[in-house]
Amino acid sequence: MTDPAAIAETGRTPAADRGAAPGTRPPVIRVDRVSKRFRRSLPGDRLRTLKSALVGGSRTRDLPREATIPAIEEVTFEVTRGESFGVIGGNGSGKSTLLKLVAGMLHPTTGELAVDGRVAALIELGAGFHPEISGRENVYINGAVLGLSRRQIDRRYREIVEFSGLGEFMEEPVKNYSSGMYVRLGFAVAIHTEPDVLLVDEVLAVGDEAFAHRCIRRLEEFLASGRTLLLVSHSLDLVAELCDRVLWLDRGCQRLIGEPRRVVDAYRQAVAEQEGAEHLAANQQREQETDASAGDEPRRWGSRQAEVTAVRLLGADGSERYHLQTGEPAVFEIHARAAQPLADFVFGIAINTPRGFECWGTNTDLEGFVPEQLSGEAVVRVTCPALRLAPGEYAVDVAVHARDGAPYDYHRRVLGFTVTAATGGAGVYFPEHRWEFAGGVRWGGPADPPRP
Amino acid sequence: MLRVARQIFRFRGLLATLTARELKARYRGSVLGFLWSLANPLLLLAIYTFVFSVIFKPRVPGIEPYALFVVSGLFPWIWLATSALEGSMSLVVNSGLIRKAVFPAELLPMVAVLANGVHLLLAMPILAAGLAAARLLGYAVSGVAALLLPVILLLQLPMIAGLAVGAAALTVYFKDVRDLLANLLNLLFFVTPILYSLQSLAGRPFFWWLVRLNPFTPFTAGYQQILFFGQPPSSSLWLQMALVSLAAWALGAGIFERLRENLVETA
Repeated sequence: MTDPAAIAETGRTPAADRGAAPGTRPPVIRVDRVSKRFRRSLPGDRLRTLKSALVGGSRTRDLPREATIPAIEEVTFEVTRGESFGVIGGNGSGKSTLLKLVAGMLHPTTGELAVDGRVAALIELGAGFHPEISGRENVYINGAVLGLSRRQIDRRYREIVEFSGLGEFMEEPVKNYSSGMYVRLGFAVAIHTEPDVLLVDEVLAVGDEAFAHRCIRRLEEFLASGRTLLLVSHSLDLVAELCDRVLWLDRGCQRLIGEPRRVVDAYRQAVAEQEGAEHLAANQQREQETDASAGDEPRRWGSRQAEVTAVRLLGADGSERYHLQTGEPAVFEIHARAAQPLADFVFGIAINTPRGFECWGTNTDLEGFVPEQLSGEAVVRVTCPALRLAPGEYAVDVAVHARDGAPYDYHRRVLGFTVTAATGGAGVYFPEHRWEFAGGVRWGGPADPPRP
Repeated sequence: MLRVARQIFRFRGLLATLTARELKARYRGSVLGFLWSLANPLLLLAIYTFVFSVIFKPRVPGIEPYALFVVSGLFPWIWLATSALEGSMSLVVNSGLIRKAVFPAELLPMVAVLANGVHLLLAMPILAAGLAAARLLGYAVSGVAALLLPVILLLQLPMIAGLAVGAAALTVYFKDVRDLLANLLNLLFFVTPILYSLQSLAGRPFFWWLVRLNPFTPFTAGYQQILFFGQPPSSSLWLQMALVSLAAWALGAGIFERLRENLVETA
């Protein structure tokens, strides 16, 4: 056991110190080409299911594909003792199914799955609690399900109540609890029964900030004592911070597995690309609508003597991007066409928040370019060596117009993109910065969270 | 089937807690509370006594007082029937528990079996009082063999557990099981010698064999032997009870084991 005082002193145990190297220790969780398919529930199916299960042999794996819904497909990974393993992915990507498989509630359709040791699972809000009976009795029932004797629970009871902070509510039936109280009690019981493997599905998000911090501290202690955590969460920052390795599930398939920040970034990129495509589709649709109805704020207007044909956001390597880390290089590429040669033209660009706040705008005239001729196809690139926008969603306006402002092609919200940062921040600007402290100030948190 | 038994044994502490909770929950909000567990069998016995000694006077040589004969077989039958019916619904009713949390599902039908077992035990003092009263009135009923009751109860436990566990797993797939079971039990009640004795069928070989082959007959006969007649069961009857009980457990637990793979997702 690690001395709790020592942990308070040093703050969080860095992931690397917990010996994350897989393979050097025996796996606690071994998932080998595991697939899970659920039967479609068509009328009459239940009887067939029953018959096939009773008569023998025939199981879900023998059913034709169209009679099943795949939830997890060919997932393989191992988690070693003391490791903290994260699972991320969109809704319906099979994260919870995976957790239930590891918990032993569901059985794999194909593949091998082995878990070594006592497992506790926090899978759904209030699950495993009997609503009609008191918090105290529920602690005992929950503890017994997790394999503890009455005496063992007696010994931990005070700590559990203290950790949950529910002292005066323990005699109340849990049906009167708020969702936050459910999570507090559930987490308190699960962590104090000291399972070898703890499975946590999202539920921490329900607790308040203070409780979330307490949980994370407790999870760090839990890991430091050589136990194993499997965490499913949509809170990517939490996963990146707490986990040694992360699995990204995409519609039941294993997309990527490895170092947390790399996997989380890849996932964010994919989500942003998806959103970018959605932005674009939505933009095009709105454009058609505005073209047709010519509403009070059109998205595109102008004489079209010159025309913007495409706008793209590129990364440093020239690949198309819909997602940037703050401080990354960014290139805005504008493709334009002039049917007749023009001598009076200005290219402009602006970055706005979705609510229309202009973060930054500029044009070639403002920056002293004197136009001579624009004819045929042209490409204009605006390169920002480090785009220091705060995390958030942004939309780009692009325009070609005459120097007196008469528009040729003014295109609002032609492009959407997302900016993320390793740390938080408010506003739209995210300058490079660092904190320095001297004198009587001391911090208990992470010594150096990754800086952009 | 061994795995089901192992799980039940492993979580015996939890099973006891859940059973106690079930018993408490049953009478929450009622004025008499636990007294109902005593009042129910008492009222049943009183009604039977009234009906069969005042309204009809059936001529049933050898099984008098008739009302006591009936309840000697009826109380254990109620244990069996309610355990099977409540047990069959236990997984469906608690599907939230087994779908969302790691929970040993086999405990749920067992809670029904044990809670109803407690009710049977609470009915026994009522029956004992009735039998003692009958002895005072000069009937030659009961005797020290009644002390074998715990042995028969323990011997029947696997049978009732098997019924409840098997029915619970089937009901998950097939809700109709509950109604089928309720009607089947109604039918079986009349093919089991509770309202009559097996001897009274001596002249009718078809019915005699039908009742004789009913797997519920040996235990009913066993309870009547020790409680009403005060005779230890013959070794053949012991053997029949043991075989029936083991077979029922093997069947029920076997069904549960077979259906276990998809139990949680289907519940």
